[in-house]
Amino acid sequence: MKKTLSILLIGALAISFSGCEKDKLYEVNEETLLAPNANKTKLKSDQQYIAILYANLFQTALSSDNLFEASQCVQSIGDKDLVHEVLISNYMNQSGVILPTNDDMRADVDGFITETYNRFLVRNPTEAERQYFKNYINTHPNVRPELVYFSFALSDEYQYY
Amino acid sequence: MKRRGFLKKAATATTGAFLAPYILPSGRLFAATGAQLAEHVVMVMFAGGVRNQESVEQTYLDQSQGIPVQGNIMYNMLDGAPPTQKIVYGTDGNLAGDTPIPQILGSTIQQQGTLFREVRSSHAGHYGGMNAMLQGNTLYSQGLRQKPINPTIFEYTRRHLGAPASKVWFVGNGIGNSTPLMNYSSHENYGADYGANFLAPDITFGSQGIEHLSNAKIYHPEEELDPIYQMKYFLDNNFENVGGAIETIHNTEAEKQSIKLFMREMYNLGGNIARPPVADNGDLNTIGYAVEVMKWFKPNLMVLNLGAVDACHANYTDYLSALHRADHAVGHLWNQINQIPEMANNTIMLITPECGRNLESNPIRDENDWRAFDHSDSNTQRVFTQMVGPNVPSNLVRGSVGNQIGETVDNCPTIAEILGFKDDVMNNGLISSTAQSLFDRI
Repeated sequence: MKKTLSILLIGALAISFSGCEKDKLYEVNEETLLAPNANKTKLKSDQQYIAILYANLFQTALSSDNLFEASQCVQSIGDKDLVHEVLISNYMNQSGVILPTNDDMRADVDGFITETYNRFLVRNPTEAERQYFKNYINTHPNVRPELVYFSFALSDEYQYY
Repeated sequence: MKRRGFLKKAATATTGAFLAPYILPSGRLFAATGAQLAEHVVMVMFAGGVRNQESVEQTYLDQSQGIPVQGNIMYNMLDGAPPTQKIVYGTDGNLAGDTPIPQILGSTIQQQGTLFREVRSSHAGHYGGMNAMLQGNTLYSQGLRQKPINPTIFEYTRRHLGAPASKVWFVGNGIGNSTPLMNYSSHENYGADYGANFLAPDITFGSQGIEHLSNAKIYHPEEELDPIYQMKYFLDNNFENVGGAIETIHNTEAEKQSIKLFMREMYNLGGNIARPPVADNGDLNTIGYAVEVMKWFKPNLMVLNLGAVDACHANYTDYLSALHRADHAVGHLWNQINQIPEMANNTIMLITPECGRNLESNPIRDENDWRAFDHSDSNTQRVFTQMVGPNVPSNLVRGSVGNQIGETVDNCPTIAEILGFKDDVMNNGLISSTAQSLFDRI
């Protein structure tokens, strides 16, 4: 009788303890999903903009003397969009700008878009961006890599890091 | 279906009616409140700290060096005979500076307009002084290397006159002393959207500009520039969606194209521009390019600053020389304005030093053993203002020593009155309580 009672007691305890064990609950941290360009919040200085622009176009560094003079030129004109445009136009008129050929671009538009985003905006394009540029390039036969590079160098996002 | 179409059209029209005042390309939101006295204003921030003793008082060496030689070395601007001895301010003849520059104007600015002989400058420094003139306010919290805190006359002009960016210009004597910051303020209701086009010709068209800006590739507007802008605007829209945007003064594409063509023209001219007959310092070069800007754009408002007079910190002879040239520059400027058909007889010019200079000299002596002057004591509060042009009384002098009439901050509401939006500026609570249009002080 005692033995039966003991077995029942152990059994009851075992059941009650097993009832305390909670189910494991797995959660994820709350994260705000941002666009890939959303973390660029700092405006480049004139010198940073010029140095990075030159490096992106020529794949080499601009000398410090030239960097200083070019930044003075940017400061001497009030419309920054305008002076950037003139500066880029000057660089595009120099030999040594490293550009893919038009044939290369059109042979692999996808690759060109990715490479351009990586080079200028230091990120990959979103699918929407990729699609836009793909359509734009394919439907505008007069668009060549130089014009695409120009637009990226002139973009607002390029002025931030 | 028809009802739905009607509602859609009505909603669009209503939305358009509400939006229209905010999307006008001119940026104009309100009608100008008064009649214009002239369509164009040119304001000269004169010259980098000028003592009234050597300008309107014409004491030459008498009250600076204790040498009893008096005379007027600003004979384009002021009535009065030049000194007859110890001439050092001209061009080089037998001796350095011994040949005064011939007068340009047949009658002086004083004869043609109104002279306020004793005007109060509230700042002893260049940047604060220029800011006071542009903002119509003496903000002592205004820092150096900081955008103007309150709106400038550029912004008032663009917003309340509805002037596009290419009609409002600030031509600076360089890029030092925070000069490029003054083309618009950081004020939340004005700011970059209403800013002026700034140009520092000594840099833009100097050796730096020739090296880095003059060889710009010419792109076809439709075939090449349009695609560039279209792709840029796509990128900008994406970036704007995450809160990123660049401050811009909103030159339209056509205005940008015009400015680029202007720059190309200047490079093509190779320096053969409308400089004054004598052009041997930076101020005179600045004036030459300012005239070219006026010829090209016919601005409603142009402000330019001259600064060579500030040589007085270390060299009094150079100060006299620069002051004489600043007068030569103003004479040339007024002469040229009246040769531009759209601006002749339709432009009022204002001239005011941003600050004066000290009564007492510093210890530095120049090659003539003459003492130099800084700008920090109460004498820096003494400057003058000249106005000339249509609707400005001629041959009128107001104020005298000990009887100050006018303040440097008056320049801002004066320009507002000339261009027809005085009430907008006077009633917005952003200018100094003592600032008045100079027309109200006559």
